[in-house]
Amino acid sequence: MSEVSPLAAQSKERGFPPISRRAWFLIAAVIIAVLPLVVKDSYWRTNLIVCALNVQLAIGLDFVVGYAGQLNLGQSAFYGLGAYGSTLLVLKLGLPFWTAFAIGTLMAGVAGALLSFFAVRLRGHYLAIASLGFAVIIYQILLNWISMTQGPLGIYGIAPPPVVALPGLPQIVFSDLRNLFYLTAGFTLIVYILLDQMVRSPIGETLTAIREDEVSAASLGIDAAKWKAFAFAVSSAAAGAAGCFYAPFVGTLVPDAFFVTESFMILAMVIVGGMGTLVGPVFGAILLTVLPEFLRSIGDLRLIVYGASLTLAVLFMPGGIVEAFHLLRRRLFPEREMQ
Amino acid sequence: MSSIVLQQAINGIVVGSLYVLVALGLTLIYGVLVQINFAHADIVTLGAFAAYGVTHLLSGNYLAGIAAALALGAALGWLINAGIFAPLRERGSELLPLIATIGVSIMLQNAMLALLGPIPYAFDTPYSNQVIRFGPLFLTVQNVLIILVSGVSITLLYVFMKFTFLGKALRAVSQDRETAGLMGINPNYLIMLTFVIASALAGLSGAMLGPVLVLTPFAGTSVIVKAFAIVIIGGFGNVEGTILAGLLVGLIESFTTQFLDPGLIDIVVFALLLLTLAIRPTGLIAERREENV
Repeated sequence: MSEVSPLAAQSKERGFPPISRRAWFLIAAVIIAVLPLVVKDSYWRTNLIVCALNVQLAIGLDFVVGYAGQLNLGQSAFYGLGAYGSTLLVLKLGLPFWTAFAIGTLMAGVAGALLSFFAVRLRGHYLAIASLGFAVIIYQILLNWISMTQGPLGIYGIAPPPVVALPGLPQIVFSDLRNLFYLTAGFTLIVYILLDQMVRSPIGETLTAIREDEVSAASLGIDAAKWKAFAFAVSSAAAGAAGCFYAPFVGTLVPDAFFVTESFMILAMVIVGGMGTLVGPVFGAILLTVLPEFLRSIGDLRLIVYGASLTLAVLFMPGGIVEAFHLLRRRLFPEREMQ
Repeated sequence: MSSIVLQQAINGIVVGSLYVLVALGLTLIYGVLVQINFAHADIVTLGAFAAYGVTHLLSGNYLAGIAAALALGAALGWLINAGIFAPLRERGSELLPLIATIGVSIMLQNAMLALLGPIPYAFDTPYSNQVIRFGPLFLTVQNVLIILVSGVSITLLYVFMKFTFLGKALRAVSQDRETAGLMGINPNYLIMLTFVIASALAGLSGAMLGPVLVLTPFAGTSVIVKAFAIVIIGGFGNVEGTILAGLLVGLIESFTTQFLDPGLIDIVVFALLLLTLAIRPTGLIAERREENV
């Protein structure tokens, strides 16, 4: 065990044993199926959908920050590009929702790949600021291109995704929060499985190699520029898809929903959950979505929870919830860790 | 027409000197530590509110307000270094301190929002309404004060860095921390000093911009994103570049407001930032920093 490099040890620790992996996905699917049946209150059903979207944003961001090691503070911009892009395609060009969804997601992915042009030349802090700058530019465009986005007034009355009518089955109406939750959470689960497949394949190894030491990775024949572009594209496409769902879910689009603070919220979910693991950000996103709801009565203090949890996690538990879970398991079942 | 251009040039220099004052602190910390303090913005805002509070309590004594902002800034700088940067330094991560201070920034901003509310405060100093006229051009005494204070601070900082023992030690630490340590310089003490100086500058800039910009809990944030752009356009850790870029951004801002649209300011500034990063990532005045480029 002492011969194992820290990287290998880390990847071994990551997640659950491979055999039960499919079982875990099945359990997740069952939880998704049962949740809206248990949660009948429409307020909490709304929160379930917010959870699903936030999980998708967080695992997407973790792919580029946690695995590829590129601090991207522009996730809010890709979220906004997906939301505004798909909505405007429906409103201005009259495209069907699902076509607009595909184009919106693709658009965010392409924008991410373009931003990675900077990631190729810049690292660390410069990339963080460049991506922050990108987020500010997109926000200001949404705010100021009034003929297109209606600026701060916002776009109202966005229709839910179209009714699905399969022959022989009852119609599926997405204005029903339960069905919308199945749609968004189901899609998020698919995104999770796709990302999970990728990080456990040589792609994941390649990205972590770039994260750990770019020069050594290049000496092994890894084209860092190409892979960074790939990681950015995947991450921002996930955010874009979340945005495409956000618009018909909320029904209203205002630029403030995609201000740079949104990027920080998503980053907090990733860090609090556990950067560099996929399961961590899922719990980080759920915790940071649900917990502030209980604090709604104390108003602005909700956001203080985000700030405090972000800072405290970095200072005392940099591995986030995942690290806390492992510590707890080691404390409770020391014999199992020995095997 | 030419008087409009001149007037906007003056306004640009006033705003630019404010940006320089904010950005200098960021660049100072980056030069010594290669770290970014994201909560710098909120030290600016807190400085502005401290100046506002003290000025009002002492019935218009703005100078006491400035002193309070300086002191509060220095104290916060010490606190953030001791609480965030010093413990994380041992872990040697490049980005964790930045992420941790994003958290501090969210906390401070929302604490201010809860206590002070989102409605802008009218911060009138005795100098806000005194106007100096040169023909068609005019300047408030507050604006003159801003240019003066920025100029004096920049000069003092320059003299401190160039000629005093502590300043030389600071530069030694920023060039090579380990060797400086071997020469009997205590890097931890100097890093603390850097934070105190940089944050005192942030508090001071808050006191100066409070009466000029819209004073809300978000005042610092709106300035800091531009300050980030400025330090990168000027070359991170490069003081001369920061001054040049700060004035440039101030001028761009006032001319964009006059001839295009105030809503386009951020877009123009950040397009310039991305352009700088694409063409000349070391900043206007090249000083190569291998770790970022």
